[in-house]
Amino acid sequence: MRENGPMSQPESAPRPEVVLVTRPTADQPAPTSPAHVLRAVISHSIGLATFTITTAASITQQAVSAAASSGTHVAQRGMSVVVDPILDAVVPRVADAVLDRLDLTQIVLDHVDVDAIVAKADIEAVIDRVPIVPIADYVIDEIDLPQIIRQSTGGVATDAINSVRVQTFGADQWVSRLTDAIVRRRQRNVHAPGDRESHEEMTHESPEEQMT
Amino acid sequence: MTSFRDYQDRRQRDVTEMRMEVLPLGAREFQGDRAGLITRLAAGVIDVVAIFLVVLGVAVVGWMLSFIVSPLNPLATTADGMRRLPPVLVLVLIGYALAWLYFMICWATSGRTIGNLVMGLRVINFKGSRLRWPTAALRSVFVVVFPVGLAWVVVSGANRSVQDLVLRTNVTYDWVVGVPTLARILGRNRDAQQK
Repeated sequence: MRENGPMSQPESAPRPEVVLVTRPTADQPAPTSPAHVLRAVISHSIGLATFTITTAASITQQAVSAAASSGTHVAQRGMSVVVDPILDAVVPRVADAVLDRLDLTQIVLDHVDVDAIVAKADIEAVIDRVPIVPIADYVIDEIDLPQIIRQSTGGVATDAINSVRVQTFGADQWVSRLTDAIVRRRQRNVHAPGDRESHEEMTHESPEEQMT
Repeated sequence: MTSFRDYQDRRQRDVTEMRMEVLPLGAREFQGDRAGLITRLAAGVIDVVAIFLVVLGVAVVGWMLSFIVSPLNPLATTADGMRRLPPVLVLVLIGYALAWLYFMICWATSGRTIGNLVMGLRVINFKGSRLRWPTAALRSVFVVVFPVGLAWVVVSGANRSVQDLVLRTNVTYDWVVGVPTLARILGRNRDAQQK
């Protein structure tokens, strides 16, 4: 704390003083002359006219802009009612005419990398949607797969056991022919009744079947 | 339905074994015909050998068991002076009895003995269906007692043995394709062990 605070200021310090000086209005003569009156009337008339015009202009502007914003849709609707049928009639014909004159396939082939698109496609998903089994059945039916296998393995004994059977069958035939020749028999009646139960169909061994 | 993705996944995990077995083209024509002498003879030989081996096995097992009953004394007789092996005649009779049972059961159930299965033969009646038990029993007796009747197949104009003529049966070619062989059975077991 300072010792010489405000309370301890010496009496001799000068106090600031505010001096208000008022100036009396200058004496002006009252506009009493006709020239002055006329000037004042003209001046006020011009001012009023200016204000009126400005205000009217402003009001008009606001009114116009408000009308414009609310009236656009109506205008557009009116336009579309008129234009749409025309466009509907014209655009397809124009498009057809343009496309007729363009070889679209060639354009795609020239400008589109079909391989890249195919490479990006999910082929497996497509295949999963394809009915593979009916198609396979159809193919097997059409190409007669059992017949092809029969022809490819025809005559050739595929199995050791089959070759033994074929050989003994040949021996059977030989013995029969020999005795038939001795007894002078024309033909043997070897047809037996009933259906045979030989497994003629293919057997396909998949791992699942082996496990069962 | 297995989807293509599943199929491919499985395909990568283990290679599917595809084996197609079909009748050889040349063999299709005579399936269902009555069989000739040599095939039937071969089938009979296989069956007789099988029965002989079974009888031999019975004899050997009985002989070995006799040492449990009386372990002392020479090989041929027991301490009581009993024979360790039955007389040959008894063994032969056992063999005949076994053969009769075996043929009857096989013909009445599947129409094929083991020999028939190997040689691709099947025994059927005059209607073309499987033998009934009485017929199978009769034919079995006939075959066991009078095997020479098979020779009539050659003389007969219809590939019929004496038994076939009397009982109106037929022995036809009827191949079973893919008879399980030892190698295939072993291979399949090996596959099963790998899984």
